[in-house]
Amino acid sequence: MKQRLILLFIISFFVISTINAQQKTDTIKTKQSYGLRVGVDLIKPIISYLEEGSKGLELVGDVRILRNYYAAVELGYEDKVSKEDYLNFTTKGSYIKAGVNYNAYKNWKGMTNEIYVGVRYGFSLFNQTLNSYTPNVKGTYFIPVEMQPNTEFKDLTAHWAEFVFGLKAETFKNLYLGASISFKVILSTKEPTNFKNLYIPGFNNVYLNDTGFGVNYTLSYLIPIVKRKK
Amino acid sequence: MKKYITLLIILSFTLINCEKDDICVEAITPKLIVVFYNDSIPANKKAVDSLTVWAEDNVNVYENKSGDSIAIPLDLTQNSTTYQLKVGTKIDTLNFTYDRKDVFVSRSCGYKTIFENFKIESRTANWIKNDTIKTTTIDNETAAHITIYH
Repeated sequence: MKQRLILLFIISFFVISTINAQQKTDTIKTKQSYGLRVGVDLIKPIISYLEEGSKGLELVGDVRILRNYYAAVELGYEDKVSKEDYLNFTTKGSYIKAGVNYNAYKNWKGMTNEIYVGVRYGFSLFNQTLNSYTPNVKGTYFIPVEMQPNTEFKDLTAHWAEFVFGLKAETFKNLYLGASISFKVILSTKEPTNFKNLYIPGFNNVYLNDTGFGVNYTLSYLIPIVKRKK
Repeated sequence: MKKYITLLIILSFTLINCEKDDICVEAITPKLIVVFYNDSIPANKKAVDSLTVWAEDNVNVYENKSGDSIAIPLDLTQNSTTYQLKVGTKIDTLNFTYDRKDVFVSRSCGYKTIFENFKIESRTANWIKNDTIKTTTIDNETAAHITIYH
């Protein structure tokens, strides 16, 4: 099943490129900037400020490869403390996501706003530390004490696929504000013994059926490299 | 464009708020299940009348209970628990020993404790005639762990 998903993911790239090869050329000629767009996620610094013990940074980048297609990459680092009812653990690690966005928004002449859908392949390398837990018991006849094992599970990995829906709006010349939501599915993980990867950098919380959600707000700047006539 | 952004923001907050909805439904730390049998016909269950159960220096778990089985918690802070079982005026003291092991269950349940090498270390014989240990590993509540004949 997992292999099939990876295969399907790779095939999707070929399908995208063949569809695009069939597109007709436009008759109206306008100049459009093709270049590298780099940016930063705005949510992670806010969370770092609000949540004690959490740090994170995500850099985003994309390049317009074809008229409506953008190759996109996200690079990030996270150090996050998760507090559950009976658990407390720290996840530390970095991640990379790479994929393609398809812009479905029909822009007016000269505009480069986007409403896009995209796919990503994500990979993360991280450590988990089980800070403390309290054995879960029904009733209060014998009250359990909190255990503080501080066990560190090193060199854990995760691979996942992501489906993205988002917007980008050019607010000033070459400056873009973006927002996106993503749905993620784990393809494979290296799990710790007698614990579980409940949080993965870049993937966020791992829910039942190995799924996850993500939200991104980005501020990015387009470095114009070439102006191409459409 | 602005409409879409507003929609996206609302949608994303809805998703964030959906996060904390998982509640613990899995089996957690098991209790010790004791079933009472008839000493003269060992194949038959025999109910006890007005049974009172408490752990040493603790309050009652059961008071004047009638029935053929009880479920009692084991102490998670040490490797032994002493229970006193009173029927009528007769009191029997049972001391259980075990090793504790914490096993991960899930995000919402956390860890549960299971008990290994479970033994009845000592037992008085005022109303209890005999006992058998059905399993030395107590990791669920689906079947009896010990039987008491009276």
